[in-house]
Amino acid sequence: MKAGLDMKLNQNISRLLFLGIETVLFGLVYFFLVFEDMISIFAVLAAMVLLSIAINRIPSLNRVVKEGFSHSKIPCIVYGILFVLAMPILFKDKPYHIFILFNTGLFAVLGLGLNWQIGSTNIVNFASAASFAAGAYASALLAIHAGLSFWILLPVSGLVAAAIGFILGLPCMKTKTYYLSLVTMAFTIIVYLLLNNMDWTGGPDGISGIPFPQIGSHSFGSPISLFGWSLPYQANFYYLIVFVVGITFFVDRRFRYSRLGLAWNAIRNDEIAAACQGIDVTYNKVLSFCANFFFDGIAGAIFAFSMGYISPESFSFNVSVTVVTIVIVGGLDNAAGVILGALLMILIPEKLQVFQNYRMLIFGLIIIVMLLVRPKGLFPQTIRKYE
Amino acid sequence: MQYIQILKTESLTINFGGLYAVDSVDFHLEEGEIVGLIGPNGSGKSTFFNLITGIYQPTKGRIFFKDENLVGKKPHQIAKKGIARTFQNNRLFSDISVLDNVILGMHYRQKTNLLDTLFRYHLVKSELRAGAEKAMELLSFFSEELKANWSRRVAELPHADRRRVEICRALASGPDLLLLDEPAGGMSPEETEELMRDIRKVKETHKDLSVIIIEHDMAMIEQIANRVYVFNYGRKIAEGPFSSISKDPGVIQAYLGEEEEDAAA
Repeated sequence: MKAGLDMKLNQNISRLLFLGIETVLFGLVYFFLVFEDMISIFAVLAAMVLLSIAINRIPSLNRVVKEGFSHSKIPCIVYGILFVLAMPILFKDKPYHIFILFNTGLFAVLGLGLNWQIGSTNIVNFASAASFAAGAYASALLAIHAGLSFWILLPVSGLVAAAIGFILGLPCMKTKTYYLSLVTMAFTIIVYLLLNNMDWTGGPDGISGIPFPQIGSHSFGSPISLFGWSLPYQANFYYLIVFVVGITFFVDRRFRYSRLGLAWNAIRNDEIAAACQGIDVTYNKVLSFCANFFFDGIAGAIFAFSMGYISPESFSFNVSVTVVTIVIVGGLDNAAGVILGALLMILIPEKLQVFQNYRMLIFGLIIIVMLLVRPKGLFPQTIRKYE
Repeated sequence: MQYIQILKTESLTINFGGLYAVDSVDFHLEEGEIVGLIGPNGSGKSTFFNLITGIYQPTKGRIFFKDENLVGKKPHQIAKKGIARTFQNNRLFSDISVLDNVILGMHYRQKTNLLDTLFRYHLVKSELRAGAEKAMELLSFFSEELKANWSRRVAELPHADRRRVEICRALASGPDLLLLDEPAGGMSPEETEELMRDIRKVKETHKDLSVIIIEHDMAMIEQIANRVYVFNYGRKIAEGPFSSISKDPGVIQAYLGEEEEDAAA
């Protein structure tokens, strides 16, 4: 009887401790965004790094985190979701910060999709900018020339991008590893050049005049009034992207725990052995292209409608590099890691001046360091557990 | 028992830029037989397996499995017809768990697809759970210890266990033809004994399973195989029960010849 009570007490304590740690982490993100001077920002960054190392290295803390989470998955997740939803309220007077978080969400979606290629099937695809552009331009053009509603354009942009993924994917099946990456890089640059030079995509000026999405009578261009607060219009897009990130994460989980996800992992390890188990390698690789591009397209549509205008500058090769960095840093085949990677790779450059000027150089260095030191990412793939 | 000859090759040949890795090989296997395939290193045994499983396409000749010509088919299509194999260099999926590896052996027997994964996930879940249970059974068939290690990444296992996992993966799909490529490679004499017992156990529970086993361990071949083929330089040089081929002068010359070469070098 006493042992049972002890266990209950221990469980509750570790549960509370975990929620405490969650609060600290969210607090750090908040303060990281709020502080303006370099010293405070670095202090927060250092605190985050120290906390992560502590959780990793100190066994008792490590245990608390793991047990706390496994005993009370639902409350922890709900608590986390509440925090995420509360962000626009915390930043209601700083719309730019909501915009940064929205941007993070966009890249999280791009990263989660790319994870199905780099993480799952070992296809290092540098064409995220192209699929992102496909969704953005498809939705923009259809909105302006066909007057279609944003909500119809969301899945349509996804399908257009997926079709392009299919077109790129098939010839890629003739190439392997490095050569395949080169083909995707070339594809991205070609798309960028085409967008810049074709008339019907608006050339370097792009497309403007994209209307705001509407739900009923509420336009995404107007502020949200919630519990008496007035949240800036960016909050509309923030909540939308949070929802889409949630769906992408959900799809990722389903892929992972399925015959499909297992087949992708097999392909990653040994294509020939995979084929000998009856796995159609070509079909699965092209499928990963289409799945990835579908969600990139949706992110592209959301991006287009959040800006009101799009131009080729937003879809340069650098965008692809950013997404690849996010996946490599965050963790191959680990969705939570990828989301964290997006947070790191988007928030940090926003606040550290040195990043602004040397962003691509630093991203390149990060990729090299990560691949040397921890090639599977900060949070590598976990073992699948059954029943 | 449905087929007199479950596998048959006619003049099977593959030419790599002038080198005949497999040269006009006629081969047949009756359903339920265990046939040994021996020969010096480089005599084309693994290449023979690669031809049967579609990894290589022959330059000449035909391969009949259950009376159907396999030539021109891709590896994943051939696997689906009921052929499973292990590899000389142990090609497991190293960074996922032992259990996942064995479940992957069942891939083509499972049915769920993309749409099921997205919209009928309960089907996917029960399929995976059934697969996991069956995989656990297979693992425990070899040893309880192997089963206890189900969640470890394959790369972390000792060599002999990895070989056993590969055999589990091959058996997971319930194949009609099992190709074992040097399953005892790198194993100690005790482990080889155990492996022999396990292969016999497998054969007892699956009476219709046909097996071709490539091995260098002659004791194992002698005890397990109904018949033996001997390869040298890509050609079949002898065929028959172990007792007769082991006395065949051509066979002895082939192995001695290799020893002489090694001695001279």
